[in-house]
Amino acid sequence: MTAAPIVRAAGRRVSGQVWTAAIIAALIVAGFVSGTIPVKPWEPFLRLDTWTFLGRGLVVTLVMGGVSLVLALAIGIPLAMARSSLRGPIGWLISGYIELVRATPILALLLIIFLGVSRLGIDLPAIQAAIVGLTIYNSATIAEIVRAGIKSIPGGEVEAARSLGLNYWQTMRLVVLPQAIARMMPAIVSQLITLMKDTSLAFILGAQELVGFGRSFFTFYGNVLETYIVLAVVFFLINYPLSLISRRLEAGRAPTERPSAVLGKDVTIA
Amino acid sequence: MPFFTPALVEHADLFFGGIRTTLILFAAGLAASLVLGVFMASLRVWGGNVLSSLAGAYVEFFRNTPLLVQLFFFAVLLAPANLGITRDPVVVGIIGLAIYTGAYVTEVVRSGILSVDARQIEASRSLGLSQIQSLRLVVLPQAVRTVIPPLGNVAIALAKNTTIVSAIAANELLKVAGIIETRNATIDGFIAALFVLWALTMSMAFILSRLERRLAFAR
Repeated sequence: MTAAPIVRAAGRRVSGQVWTAAIIAALIVAGFVSGTIPVKPWEPFLRLDTWTFLGRGLVVTLVMGGVSLVLALAIGIPLAMARSSLRGPIGWLISGYIELVRATPILALLLIIFLGVSRLGIDLPAIQAAIVGLTIYNSATIAEIVRAGIKSIPGGEVEAARSLGLNYWQTMRLVVLPQAIARMMPAIVSQLITLMKDTSLAFILGAQELVGFGRSFFTFYGNVLETYIVLAVVFFLINYPLSLISRRLEAGRAPTERPSAVLGKDVTIA
Repeated sequence: MPFFTPALVEHADLFFGGIRTTLILFAAGLAASLVLGVFMASLRVWGGNVLSSLAGAYVEFFRNTPLLVQLFFFAVLLAPANLGITRDPVVVGIIGLAIYTGAYVTEVVRSGILSVDARQIEASRSLGLSQIQSLRLVVLPQAVRTVIPPLGNVAIALAKNTTIVSAIAANELLKVAGIIETRNATIDGFIAALFVLWALTMSMAFILSRLERRLAFAR
């Protein structure tokens, strides 16, 4: 009685997904066969050198995303610790900083860093400027996620660790942070999706990443719409598995320990 | 640094036009994404097998691809050379923002509807309310309450995302700031734009936190 409705719902969703895939595939095939979708603009995508070309942009995109993620974690976690343990003016300052950065549109941040630094006479290439901006923005978001995770760990555990003779750092490193980060992992993975999408904004600074390579590609072949669809699909193939991972991690946790419950809101909505 | 620097005073009309365009993108994008999101969410919940999954595919595709690529795509698709619907970047921006944000709204509204216990509908049906009445009187009031905080966050994200429409040359705040930057060789416009955007996002965050507190009490 208890399990049956869930199983039935799951089975129904799968068949619905199969139908959806079939309908989309049928529409595409019908489009090509009837000539509604012209075949010629798609032909370059059957060639290997197209993919080695776009692959170069993809590498830049992945490196930007990866480096920014690592840096954002390296800055965001200490920021979260500082915000949750420091009181008084320094604590307020850190809170204010985090809130201010999170209220900033990422593109505005990127442009101000890129143009501001070049006004100061320092030559910072677009990719590096984008990494700096993405790091600043995402470290604030990750700080907020991790802080909520730290807050969700029962105070009794900290007291127990302290009374066992662990100092503040040991308690954080050995007891609080591992649990807080594990608990918030689904939200961190969702944030990675946002980060991967935001790397595309580096194109506006003039960085040659996936979107930039795509545009160079279609200026040669003239298949503008088709290239944008391919770019979107490439991003989708990176991000959709991440969203499945995030969902699976979330499902593996007790409802009260899920980021949505711990945060009380979804910080990763983008 | 005074807010109204010479570069800004010189381009005051341009800058205020930028504020106006940003607000139009935000307001129209929000309204359209709510309509689209509520429609898609009802397909998700009541659409049956196939329609529900199609709406799910919409959500997953548009949430997992960059808004920038979507905007570039729609700008070309709607242009006179293709569908010939519009070449106005603000209109394209509103459509793009609505479709992107609508995917998030769909998920929020769907979980809002599902948060209402199905047994309550059964109870209200057995009390003699019609399907529509039980939706209107039982499900909706509760769903709206759960949905408002996350929708507020979606609205804040939308306000920030209006800046990306600058990439298709809509004269919103960042685009205008860029024009001032090339003309006067100063980033004053960007700083001023940032303050306006902060005012927009932070006032919404403030209202939202007040609203959340009140909704929490009303439970």
